[in-house]
Amino acid sequence: MTTFRRTSSLKRTQQRMAVLFILPALAVYALFVLYPLAMSLWGSVFVWKGLRMVEFAGVSNFSRLFVFPSGARLYGALWHNTAWFLGIMVFQNGIGLLFAWLLFLRDKGAAFFQSVFFFPAVLSPVIVGALWRLLLAPGGVVEWALNGLGLHQGSLTVLGNSHTALAMLIAVDAWNWMGLPVLIYTAGLRQISGQIFEAAKLDGAGNARMLFSIALPLLMPALGTLTTLSFINTFNQFDIVYVMQGVQGNPSYSTDTLVTYFYRLAFGAEGAVGITDIGLALALGTLLFLILSIGTLMMLRFFDRRTVQL
Amino acid sequence: MSALAISDRAAISRQLARLPGWTVLAVWTAAVLLPLYILVVSCFKTTAEIYATRLGLPQSWALDNFVNAWTRADLGHNFINSLIVTGGAVVLTIVVSAMAAYPLSRYRLGWNAVMLGLFLSGIMLPIRLASVELFTLMRNLGLLDSLTGLILVYSAIRIPFAVFIFANFMRVLPSELDEAARMDGAGEVRILFQIILPMVKPAVSIVAIFTAIAVWNDFFFPLIFIFDDRHKTVPLAISVFVGQFRTDWGLVFASLAISMAPILIMYCLLARQIREGVGAGGGMK
Repeated sequence: MTTFRRTSSLKRTQQRMAVLFILPALAVYALFVLYPLAMSLWGSVFVWKGLRMVEFAGVSNFSRLFVFPSGARLYGALWHNTAWFLGIMVFQNGIGLLFAWLLFLRDKGAAFFQSVFFFPAVLSPVIVGALWRLLLAPGGVVEWALNGLGLHQGSLTVLGNSHTALAMLIAVDAWNWMGLPVLIYTAGLRQISGQIFEAAKLDGAGNARMLFSIALPLLMPALGTLTTLSFINTFNQFDIVYVMQGVQGNPSYSTDTLVTYFYRLAFGAEGAVGITDIGLALALGTLLFLILSIGTLMMLRFFDRRTVQL
Repeated sequence: MSALAISDRAAISRQLARLPGWTVLAVWTAAVLLPLYILVVSCFKTTAEIYATRLGLPQSWALDNFVNAWTRADLGHNFINSLIVTGGAVVLTIVVSAMAAYPLSRYRLGWNAVMLGLFLSGIMLPIRLASVELFTLMRNLGLLDSLTGLILVYSAIRIPFAVFIFANFMRVLPSELDEAARMDGAGEVRILFQIILPMVKPAVSIVAIFTAIAVWNDFFFPLIFIFDDRHKTVPLAISVFVGQFRTDWGLVFASLAISMAPILIMYCLLARQIREGVGAGGGMK
């Protein structure tokens, strides 16, 4: 009887203490993340005048998004984000797998190379973008090196050329984050039992065969993590574009992304200077929110099904 | 004798077979380190010297560019702002997240899973898309153009990840720990801060490291919320310098070096923890 009373009074105290302990974190999180996000989704079906909701708009903000003149911006940005994601998958997560495999085959020096490769990832994308903007500028060191090697002549204008600018930004982003796939793959490779590789070696499998037929299927969780992270990061891409090409995604919108477009609509740098279109911005935000959530869920499911259990 | 020669030759050929691999690794190492080398030596050069000697060492290790960046471009001020915001956000995130994670991972409440799920959903939420409503909210609360406002927003964004890490570490501690302390009459606050928290020091350092990196590097929220030069953080100031001091390359290089110095020092000291933290959780950004 006494023990019962004691546990139930302990439980009551615990419920009360739990609420008090959780409240500060929950209040900050709910006020500055959940509330504004919910209000943004809700606001996308209203007509806005400046920063004020005026009346219910149904889907008219969304239909405006897809027609002239916003349509061209939307499809352009959507394509640039998609190209960015594909570029990162090949050049960062693909080459990163090669680096990780090479480090896995060598017991010496892995920690050193991992540390060097990951170093740019702890820097701000603003610093990385500013650094590469100086290096790639006309008269910069890359131009000097390419001219010296005879690979290029005259002034280097890759960032000012609408055919090459986006590819340059993707390359800079891959340079920035190359260490991430290397760390995640090597952690994944180390979890695979050494006996599997021993057995494959006895069966006469070469290094390439071991990587693609044995390691890769077992690396599905790592690949899933990387694909999802890269998807979220590339579709949130803003900093590198802003610092290297300006908020318009110069030249002539060739490096414009969904978030730079969103920023211009929301904070007044699209069209006439200082004019915002909150309704359109919130519709774009909601669309991007849907792309991100549905895409992420589909990727998680896709990789979950392909995870090999041993 | 001949057996030895054969094994020698085998060893040599094994090393030779590895040569292409080593070359690939060396090339990327150069691709990472060369730009950083150029950044460092250019800090000590005048603009004319940067054009004249691309890869060479500077003629003198003059600190003019650093002094100019720190005072003339007023980066010193931005640097202190960034320190305040980063420090404030790290401390606030750790305290409130540890407090929330403690009952969620160690009490039997009946609603632990739901509440934990609510926090965890925030790890993936694209908060930038809420910036319009966040702007209105901050204006109504009088938090626009203030470091306090930034600290609150950053803590809110980092709380989900921190609660996740703390809950994972606290869940596996033996239940005798807090039960014994409770028998001795210790209060719940004391149990958390004097018994549980010291047991999960690795979690504290993971949360501190990744919160500090994310906050120090962030550019988007200062861009939206900060207007006054006196309240600008380092990344925001750098984004202005790149255009403003376009012709003074030495100054821009020096300001880049100053702004990455704290992260560089932290990285050199904590490279192993950072590597392991990323490899285990992939929880960056």
